[in-house]
Formats: sequence, C-alpha cells, structure tokens
Amino acid sequence: MAGRDLAPVTSSRTFGQREPMRQPQFVRSTTFRWALAVAGVLAIFVIVLFGFIYWKTDSYLIVRSDRMIARQLHYIAGLSGGRQLDAIEQHLEQDSRGVQYAGLFGPDDRKITGNLERFPPDLKMDESVQSISVLRTLPGGPQTRVIRAIAQRVSGGNALVIGREVDETREISHVVGQALALGLLPALCLCLLAGAWLSMRAQKRVEEVNRRVQRIIAGNLRERLPHRNVDEPFSKLAAIVNGMLDEMETMIHALAGVGNDIAHDLRTPLTRARLTLERGRTNATDLDQLQTVVDKAIANLDQSLSIITALLRLAEIENSRRSAAFGSVPLHDMLREVCDIYEPIAENKNVDLRVVIGQPLSVLGDQDLLFEAVANLVDNAVKFTPEGGKVGIELTRGDNTTIVRVTDSGSGISEQEREVVLRRFYRSEKMRSTPGVGLGLNLVAAIVKLHGFRLVIHSGPGGRMEIIFPDPRPSRVAPATKT
Amino acid sequence: MVLVAGKGPNRAVAGSSAADLSAAVGNGLMTKVLLIEDDSETAEEITAELSDRGFEVEWSANGIEGLDKARSSHPDAMIVDRLLPGMDGLTVIEALRKEQVRTPVLVLSALGAVDDRVRGLRMGGDDYLTKPFALVELIARVEALLRRPAESRETTLRVGPLELDLIERTAKRGDRVIDLLPREFRLLEYMMQRSDQLLTRAMLLEEVWNYKFIPATNLVDVHMGRLRHKVDGPGEAPMIHNVRGSGFILRTGP
Repeated sequence: MAGRDLAPVTSSRTFGQREPMRQPQFVRSTTFRWALAVAGVLAIFVIVLFGFIYWKTDSYLIVRSDRMIARQLHYIAGLSGGRQLDAIEQHLEQDSRGVQYAGLFGPDDRKITGNLERFPPDLKMDESVQSISVLRTLPGGPQTRVIRAIAQRVSGGNALVIGREVDETREISHVVGQALALGLLPALCLCLLAGAWLSMRAQKRVEEVNRRVQRIIAGNLRERLPHRNVDEPFSKLAAIVNGMLDEMETMIHALAGVGNDIAHDLRTPLTRARLTLERGRTNATDLDQLQTVVDKAIANLDQSLSIITALLRLAEIENSRRSAAFGSVPLHDMLREVCDIYEPIAENKNVDLRVVIGQPLSVLGDQDLLFEAVANLVDNAVKFTPEGGKVGIELTRGDNTTIVRVTDSGSGISEQEREVVLRRFYRSEKMRSTPGVGLGLNLVAAIVKLHGFRLVIHSGPGGRMEIIFPDPRPSRVAPATKT
Repeated sequence: MVLVAGKGPNRAVAGSSAADLSAAVGNGLMTKVLLIEDDSETAEEITAELSDRGFEVEWSANGIEGLDKARSSHPDAMIVDRLLPGMDGLTVIEALRKEQVRTPVLVLSALGAVDDRVRGLRMGGDDYLTKPFALVELIARVEALLRRPAESRETTLRVGPLELDLIERTAKRGDRVIDLLPREFRLLEYMMQRSDQLLTRAMLLEEVWNYKFIPATNLVDVHMGRLRHKVDGPGEAPMIHNVRGSGFILRTGP
C-alpha cells in the first residue's frame, strides 16, 4: 500500500508528466496555492471584522436600550400609585412591536398589572439592568423570553419591573450574515478563479516555452520564446533568453563557418603534402631527391599543424576566464620590448620601425596575452608594409582612455575589408603569397575582448589599428626612473 | 582502442629491446631514458630515434607500470605522456617527486593550453612538449634536460675563443670585442651555457624571449642572423651553426 502510494508522489515532481491521480494540473501550481492561501487569510480577516462590527453594534444597542428602560422605570416610579397603573398600561399599549415588558407586583409578589406572568425570581431589586428570562402573558398562554429588565420598590411596597427585548440584535446578526454571504463568498470565488486563471496562464506559457525549447533542442535555431510587452516578468525573461539565443545562433553559425574555413585551409597544405609524397615516391631516383620531397611534405604538414595550434589557441583565449591572472601591465615597457624584438625584422625589410611613448601608462590585464596582441599587430604591420615604408607604435591618452596605436604606411585596410579582416583565416587577396595562417587579427580581437578593451581598425590609406583601454582601471604609474 | 590491438606484439618488441639493452647497462655508459607513452606507434618511433642516438630506452604503456619501472631502474631522464591508462602522467610525476626522485621529466601532451602547461610544470615536470612534435625537438629537449647547466658561480662563460663576462656584460671573440644588444647578450649567454647542443626555435622562444606563443614571423632566425653576423666575423671559423629545419648549435668545431 505504502509502496503504491509512493509512485504518484514522485511522479508529480517530474515536470510535464501525466499524473495518475486525476487532479487538474493548475491546482498543483504554486500560483494557485498562493491564491488559495490569500483567499483563506482574506476570509478570516473579513469574518473577524464582521464579528467585531456585530459585537460593537450589539453592545451599543443594549446600552441604549438599558438607558431607555432605566429612564422609563424612574419615570413610572416617580408617579403616584394610581397613575402608575395608567402609565404602565399606556406604555404597553404604545408598543406596536411587542418588545416592551412591564409589571407591577404587590409586596407578596402578586401581580397587580402588566404583561409579566409573575415577578422574575432571579431579578434583583438593585436598580441595575440585567438579562433574565421571564414569562410573558400572551393571549395564547405564557411564553418564556430572555429580556433586559430592571426592578425597583415603589410606594406601598410594590415592585415595579420594566423590561425590553433587544430584538435589533437579531436583525443585526441577520444583516451581518447576509452581508457576509453577499460580500465574502463572491470575493472568495473571485480569488480562486483568479488564482486558477493565473496559474493556468502561467502553465500554458511554460508549456509553450517548453514546446519551443524542445524545437530548439531538436535543432531549429531560429525558434524564439514568445514575448508581448516588456513590463511583464515572463516577457522580460523571454526577451533575455531570446537575446542569449541570438548570440548563440550567431556563434554557432560562426563556428560552422569556421569549420568550413578550417577544412579549406587544412586541405590545401595536406593536399600539397600528399601530392608531393605521391610524386616523390614514383619519381625520386636517389636519396637526395627523396629527402627534398620529404622536406617539402613535412613543411606542408607543419603548416597544417600550425593552423590547428593557432585555432586551439584562439579557442583557448575565447573560452578563458582568466581575469585571475590580471595584474598591472606597464604598456610603455611592453611596447619598447615589442619594438626591440621586431626592429631587426623591420630593418631586414628596410622598414622604419619607431615607438613613440608620450608618458608611462599601465593597464590592468594579462601581461602575456597583451604582449601577444601587440606583437601580432606589429607583426602584421611589418609584414604588410612594403620596403622603405614606416611602422609606428604609439602610446597615448585619449578621452578617459589609454590608446596603443599601430600605424603603417602600407596599403591599409579598405572600408569594405574592415569587417571581414576579423574573420578567421581572412587574408587580403593581394597578400595570399605572404606566409601566415590568417588568424593573427582574430587572436588580437579575442584577447582584447577578453579584457573588455576595444580594437578599432581604421580604414586606409595606411594601416591604423588601435587597442583602446577604457579608463576605470588604468592608473598612471610613477614615471620610469630612466627613459 | 588502438592501444589494445597493438599491445601484444609491441610489448614483445619493447621487452626484447629492453633485454638487449639491459646487457649494455653493465658498462654503465649508456644514458637510460624511461618512456611512458600509451600509443604504441608513437612509442616505437621515439624508442627507435633515441636508440639511434645511443640512449637506452625502457618503455611502459601505462602509468602504474611506468611508476614501478621509474622506481626500480633509476633512469637518467623520463618522457611521460600526460593522458595514460591506469594512472595519469602528472600523478606519476607527483608520486616520484614525493619520493624525492629528482630525475628530469619531459611531459608530453596533446593538451597545448598554457594553463595545462603551467600545471604540468608545477606538478614536477621539467619541460613540456605539446603533441604533435618533431622528433628533433624531442631529442633536443631530452638532451637539454640531461645536460642542464649546473648552478655555477662562474662569472665568465667560455666556449672556444668566445668569452662572455656576465658581470661586465661584455663579449669577446679572441681579442675582438663584440658589441651586443641586451637581448643578443641573453641569447648568446643561453647558447654558451648549452654549447654543442641543438637548440630549437621553440626552446629559444620560450627561454630567451619568454614567448608563450609561436609568432607568425620567423623572429628567431632574424635575431640569430644578427647575432651570427656579430659573433662570426669575416675570415673567422663559424661558431653558430644552423641545423636545417630544426634549430641552432653553438660549437667550436666545424
């Protein structure tokens, strides 16, 4: 029995599974349960409020009625013997609703006049109003009633009793009951309906989202979550998720594009290697020739491997979260070092490489990666500058930014090329013959992005690339002791 | 999976070669290298190359066996693959280091990421080589590990007619004073500490330029060209030799 009970409980935890127990789904939703709880609390409050109003009104009416009968008593008691009887009779005659009680009893408790069968035994003669049960004289025989009554000895040793049945109390309770029925029940129903509606709506949206997510999982990357206005939390969430999906779709497409590029760029050297080896195997007649062939093949294989290495490196940088390794990087020292390293290469090409440093500036970042980024920019600049040209490295301040600028006197990048140079493996058509993998700028872009800096590529004539370090972090360091 | 298929026969090969070589251990002249690598074909190539160069090679295809061999046969150097069946390569090294075994270790790995490299070195590896690698590179690095320059208090390095004063930061070839830029000095210092050894471009980039990446341009060649121009003057016997496709050697002979 216990074992059988377990099954529905566990399955009800599983999202979107049909439950054997026939309970409408919305009843289990949190929204509905909350609505139920709110309705319950509301009901309790309303009942307490009405109870309070009833109690207060009731006691007010009783106090008023008590005052009235006390006044009546004093008035009648103040009259002379004979007029007392008249006053009592008149008092009872005027009572159209039949709520007034009065009686005059002799010293031996014998009834003289009034509508009371006999003197109420529990009634005290102390002129205080109290609730007691009395026997009322009616045409159909005496009846027991609970009334508020007061008694007093009057002249001649008689006992005068004046009473009143507070029938308004009954009316009030009736009204209160009606008000409760008319007000509370519809409110409760409304609460529950609203709860059910909200939870069903939420459920529907979740189901809709689930359907669409399933479609995305199935491979339809175009699918987006539904959203109407921006102010609703559900729509906000959907908009956020959609933003994420947009980014992911772009990334996946980019990856697919990269896959094609890789295939192309890897096939080229591999095909060359294969052809070289194949021809060498048939045609080489001596060891020297064979070695030449093998060297060529190895060079092509190395080219393929360097493409893979560069790609992995790119992936590593793009995926890394290595802000832990961030420290203060003195850009002035770094630029001088890059210049030192590339100076001989530039000189071999008869290119004039200069570094201009306005003032020592440091930024927060990964020293090795930033070095790699700048080195890549300079490498590119030197490579694409014709003999006799110029390459400049510059460190300056912009508007709340620190700028590393690499300029060259080469042909530069045309407006149309600006977007495309950041694509993997892009190499300017004119430069197809230049050695390189075509991932250098991608690396720079990835490194810059990882740091939250900006890479700006200006269009030609003349190459101009800038890495812009926004300010919050950069702090000026004390001027170097020797420049 | 390939590993299982190729295990039987290759074991036999390794076993027999180990037996052959163990005869040679008697004279104690051969340098013993322990190779822990699970891919039998790679292991075979490395073993063949090292044997050709006069090393005695012992091969283990998994970490546990490799660790046992490292403990029992006291190799002079070890080449350890990172991803191994049985026991991870880094764990093997860590275990040995805990036992105060200081044998130099070259870590091989298909994981090239900088962080992995750093981890490999921190766990006790002495050098790190990413797959795929050239055999020349592997040999050069093993040699470098075996002939690590001893901590010397010498303030002057001498190779043939070449003299480097580490305090004065001056260089001389015979009586001729060589004027060197700081980085050229560092390059020459590194090469003189490792004279007669093949130094590959990757080794120089890592050690002299402190590069964590391979630059697109042939930096090393350009800088080496300049240094050679200064060291080997006209009419002098060349000392810096270019080994085609692999790297450079500094030596006095031809």
